Amino acid sequence: MNGKLIVLWILVGIPLVWGVMKTLENAIKLFQ
Amino acid sequence: MTSSFLDREHTVAPPGFNRFMVPPAALAVHLSIGQAYAFSTFNLPLTKLIGITHSAPGDWDLKQVGWIFSIAIVFLGSSAAVFGRWVERVGPRQSMFTAALCFGGGFLVSAVGIHLHQLWIIYLGYGVLGGCGLGIGYISPVSTLIKWFPDRPGMATGMAIMGFGGGALIAAPLSVMLMAHFKTAASTGVLETFVTMGVIYFMFMMIGVYAVRVPAADWKPAGWTAPAQPKQLVTTANVAVDMAWRTPQFWLLWVVLCMNVSAGIGVIGQASPMIQEIFTGRVTPAVAASFVGLISLFNMAGRIFWASTSDYIGRRNTYMIFFALGIVLYASVPTLGHLGSIPLFVAAFCVILSMYGGGFATIPAYLRDMFGTYQVGAIHGRLLTAWSVAGVLGPVLVNYIRQYQIDNGVPKAQAYSVTMYIMCALLLIGFLCNFAMRPVDEKYHYRGSV
Repeated sequence: MNGKLIVLWILVGIPLVWGVMKTLENAIKLFQ
Repeated sequence: MTSSFLDREHTVAPPGFNRFMVPPAALAVHLSIGQAYAFSTFNLPLTKLIGITHSAPGDWDLKQVGWIFSIAIVFLGSSAAVFGRWVERVGPRQSMFTAALCFGGGFLVSAVGIHLHQLWIIYLGYGVLGGCGLGIGYISPVSTLIKWFPDRPGMATGMAIMGFGGGALIAAPLSVMLMAHFKTAASTGVLETFVTMGVIYFMFMMIGVYAVRVPAADWKPAGWTAPAQPKQLVTTANVAVDMAWRTPQFWLLWVVLCMNVSAGIGVIGQASPMIQEIFTGRVTPAVAASFVGLISLFNMAGRIFWASTSDYIGRRNTYMIFFALGIVLYASVPTLGHLGSIPLFVAAFCVILSMYGGGFATIPAYLRDMFGTYQVGAIHGRLLTAWSVAGVLGPVLVNYIRQYQIDNGVPKAQAYSVTMYIMCALLLIGFLCNFAMRPVDEKYHYRGSV
């Protein structure tokens, strides 16, 4: 059950983290 | 796939099931449908389908293309209201599957519309079919999460609804990347991007379909017992959806949501031109786009932060903070503009947008506190009509008042001051409605078996 739980969180977490990173990359321009 | 796999009875969790499997299932759906917030990335390319590099005769204009998103949002609110009871009856798996078919299918039908260059097919595809996918998908995991997390309903629904905010952060760069990948001398790449996104989102939403489970009727979290002495604004009774909307509490909450969303959504739509016009010459379009990205991030983070906080300080107090702090911040925006302080201006809007997202994410738990868990998903669906109204009210107020000011000779940099004060008035109405909230009268309580 724990294995499934980790896989599930990774599956939804990766795209979310990618989207947040892309947004932060752009947001840095505000403070440059 | 047989119909039995989708039935509610077949989704009842076995003993020992880890309830933390359910939030990512809900996230898989909300991260997908949150794409809607980033639909504007397609607007310009859709106006160049014939001319490819420029709008040619026969190409659609921006106003025509803008209707695609508006139709989708109208169908989001109306389908959530109409199908709410059906979602409660058939359970989360069947409703998530339907949402995946509608949302993914909406992209594919729209791709046909692009191929034939028929705008009405896109209105029907992304607008109507996709909009129904948005509405059904949005409410499908809500009551399930509330039942799995009776001890932390705010955190649980906040996690899912955070996904709706996060979906735009994924979809915006993904759409740009896919269009760049598929672009050729003869194509803008939008058609191929629509087909790819339709397939990707359908598959991603299916993760949620497979993973979601409902708790057994007698299930409770280990070691948790319902408080013997319930709080004043947390009911232990239930109210059916058809009765709920006859209560004053439903309409007070409707106004609370509508005012909170109107204030935020008006700013989201105008964020980029607003910061450029208030700080003329100091903020470029690229920097303004960064500002939009940053407030989207706070919109997402505010959903989990404020909804989780509401589990500790109570739902009414949370909205009191939204409205009181919102009034102070909106009222200070003109001053911050005059002072020329970009960091303070940005910080104020980050907090404002966090409370906009927080308002969406805290409302399901507020509904559960007032009306119980019995048909909370369906009640939530009907309440989302407030979103549809706010989706028109907020942008219209901001855009029209700004234009009226400019037409009457007010400099662009100062044209937003009156708008901000009107936002304060909206928030004051929300504050008063929230302040008037009382427990639902016993005559509305559901007496049957839940």
